[in-house]
Amino acid sequence: MIQRDLVIVGAGPAGMAAAATACRAGLGVTLIDENLSTGGQIYRQSPAALAGLSVPTGESSLHGKQMIGELESLKDQIEWLPNTSVWGYFPERRLAVRSDRGWQIIAAKQIILAAGAYEFVSPFPGWTLPGVMTPGGAQSMVKTMNILPGSRILIAGSGPFLLVVAAQLHAAGAEVVGVLETARRRDAFRHLPSLFSYPKLLRQGRHYLQQLRKANIPLHWGHLVTSAEGSECIENATIAACDGNGRPRGQASTIAIDTLCIGYGFVPRTELAQMADCAMEYCELIGGWIPQVDATFETSVSGVRVAGDGGGVAGAIVAEIEGTVAGLAAAHQLGTIDDVTYQARFDPLAKQLRKLRIFRSALDRIYRIRPGLLDLACPDTTICRCEEISRQEIEEGIEFGGTNISTLKVITRAGMGPCQGKMCWPAVARLIADKEGKSVAEVGNVRVRPPIGSLAMTDLLTELSLDPIQEKH
Amino acid sequence: MAKTAEVIVVGGGVIGSAVTFELARRSVDVLLIDKTLPGRATSASAGGLWPVGEAVGLGCGIIHHQSHSKSGVLNDELLLPGFFRDFLAQSNSYFPELAAELKEFGGVDIEYEPGAGLMFLYFNEEEKQFVQLVADSLPQENNLEVLSALEAKEIEPQLTGDLLGAARLADEHQVNPMLLAEGFKRAAIALGAEFRHETKAAELCREGDKIVGVQVEEERFSCKTVVNAAGAWAGNLAETAKIRLPIFPVRGQVVLTQTLPHVLNACLSNSGCYILQKKHGEVLIGSTTENAGFDVSVTPEAITHLCNAAVRTVPCLRHVGIKRVWSGLRPGTQDELPILGPMENISGYMNATGGFRTGIVASPLTGRIVAQQITDQELDFPIETFLASRFKRTAAETR
Repeated sequence: MIQRDLVIVGAGPAGMAAAATACRAGLGVTLIDENLSTGGQIYRQSPAALAGLSVPTGESSLHGKQMIGELESLKDQIEWLPNTSVWGYFPERRLAVRSDRGWQIIAAKQIILAAGAYEFVSPFPGWTLPGVMTPGGAQSMVKTMNILPGSRILIAGSGPFLLVVAAQLHAAGAEVVGVLETARRRDAFRHLPSLFSYPKLLRQGRHYLQQLRKANIPLHWGHLVTSAEGSECIENATIAACDGNGRPRGQASTIAIDTLCIGYGFVPRTELAQMADCAMEYCELIGGWIPQVDATFETSVSGVRVAGDGGGVAGAIVAEIEGTVAGLAAAHQLGTIDDVTYQARFDPLAKQLRKLRIFRSALDRIYRIRPGLLDLACPDTTICRCEEISRQEIEEGIEFGGTNISTLKVITRAGMGPCQGKMCWPAVARLIADKEGKSVAEVGNVRVRPPIGSLAMTDLLTELSLDPIQEKH
Repeated sequence: MAKTAEVIVVGGGVIGSAVTFELARRSVDVLLIDKTLPGRATSASAGGLWPVGEAVGLGCGIIHHQSHSKSGVLNDELLLPGFFRDFLAQSNSYFPELAAELKEFGGVDIEYEPGAGLMFLYFNEEEKQFVQLVADSLPQENNLEVLSALEAKEIEPQLTGDLLGAARLADEHQVNPMLLAEGFKRAAIALGAEFRHETKAAELCREGDKIVGVQVEEERFSCKTVVNAAGAWAGNLAETAKIRLPIFPVRGQVVLTQTLPHVLNACLSNSGCYILQKKHGEVLIGSTTENAGFDVSVTPEAITHLCNAAVRTVPCLRHVGIKRVWSGLRPGTQDELPILGPMENISGYMNATGGFRTGIVASPLTGRIVAQQITDQELDFPIETFLASRFKRTAAETR
């Protein structure tokens, strides 16, 4: 079997940076993404046909365009596999991929997993109603299809991403009635000194706030959505002020809307790392279970690195630097750059990351997931969406002896659906932890099985040749 | 404080749980200890209740034969002994009543699903002749019908047109294997058994020719009898007390599809895979039989092989999504029969393992006769042919 030098999974900021860096350092690079173009979620570009219609973009998006252009200039040297998803990791650094032409195994000397993160929504009454979606989902509707998710939109949850999406939806012509941020203003002030550690990012944050003000979109700190109501789809959201633990207090009120964008931050996509048997650790503030890595982002599995949000959520700027470091380290490990060159490039990047970490950890503390959020779910609120299992059914299952993952799955079927527990497990683990007086880390994580993502039987009927596929566009 | 019990059962898979249930039912003071290891066979079982089908090789047997036999010729080597077929058939006959009992005592629905039976599908002359050989070898009461392709398609409209014919065993159905184990366990607890999960038996405590307890981390649990129901790991457990038990892990990989509307009426098998639709709508496709030690990984080769074999048999599965793929380790034995009952010259010890590919269907009767043996009751089925001593004898005879 042909072994590629370096295979990178994911062409967002981390993956693109790793690819460009490693390619310039003399490695043969294979870059895989399930989308048709590079950029990932954050730098997602409109298809050419829609280019004229796309929403106004900010500074960060310009940077994304630059990165995409840079990679474009290297495209003759990079094996770029768009519209290709990785559905499994197999021993000896073999990745199983599928595209619309069939499946194949791609073996690599070095792998960088840059799979990004998905959005976290804590279950609450009405969260499965049509019209309730994640901010990222609304964002990609606007960005790639130029479709507005609704006309009267409320944005809620936690984190700076809400502000970005609010501005984009407004610019695209929607009425954004407000942004509810669970964190309180005083939480933000408490960590303000640490935020001065990276003035550029602080300025970016201020820019988001100004955009909101200009658009007359009210931002309510210390508020949350306690439930969504509607018969066929969402018609109203009930909102309330909350305390530092995310528990509603005071009078609740109702607001009429047709769309609710709600997200409480991000959970790293670690399925491939888990499948590769990388040692994992639980870090609540950066999204839960993440692979343990060294300074070059190498996991406990030799030659497998994790960069960007997939290794702990920290945003695009950190992701890009991590990707660069991982790309360099892969080249260094395979001997295409010498020790001196490597060290000279590594040191300043490591320093920059240390500085960013102060800023990031302040953000993580401001926007941490509050324990009270889970209490919003009523007994009949669906927790596992795939199998439609309610909170009450899960709690009865725990009561019945389902105090560990496998038993609870067998008894209740929670986590038995196609998402393999990706959506419900953070909430289910907290329910078990509460009942058993354990920590979420002690409860453990769900086991990941192939396939990751969607894979049909027909995808496995044609095995492609083992030669590198050359995709020219 | 040191724990004591009359009987300690090691292993909470379907067999250990069944034994615990049957002991609790007989008012024995029993403790079940279990450490869920990745790859326990119960979790990767299809839950097929195919007593005759498995005994004559028309379930997983033919797949096993195809990948392990040197000749690859389908012959009477695939037929397991008649007494084993009787054992499985008797065990299978308990299911309707058992389903009701487990629901009543433990509150678990084991999803016992009578359907259109087990159909072995054949695609060529050799397979057809093998079916004939099986049919001739079976006593009348086993009810094997040989069907034309048309008749098979009448029962199972989604079958491929390439079919030559089918052999149908109308009384062979399915359960949910994990709920079956859970059901036995819950019922046992309700009847007074004690259960400790996440508890690993480090070793068996032996004094002279007597097993006196189980060492669990720092603690020693003492008992009058230990039941070794540790499945594929039973040999390792026995080894800690210098007991040689010829059990080896046989890996099986299975593929599960997304939830589908009702598409299959029967459990289907052919020489490449078996296919059955579970109660919640997923279609389960099994299974490889591989000697891979205790490695529980899955392989792209096996996954694609199973998917190809399934689509060839039921073409409408082509565009169906795959939900997950995983593997389990069957407790294998050389003669494909379980190892039950005491060991020669050792007291306080009882085997309940070696279920290989028939552990689920064999669990009700296995639970009974092991419990009956421990409580000195009359046995519902003779245990002699399942004793571990048969291996020593065979070795001596060949010498």
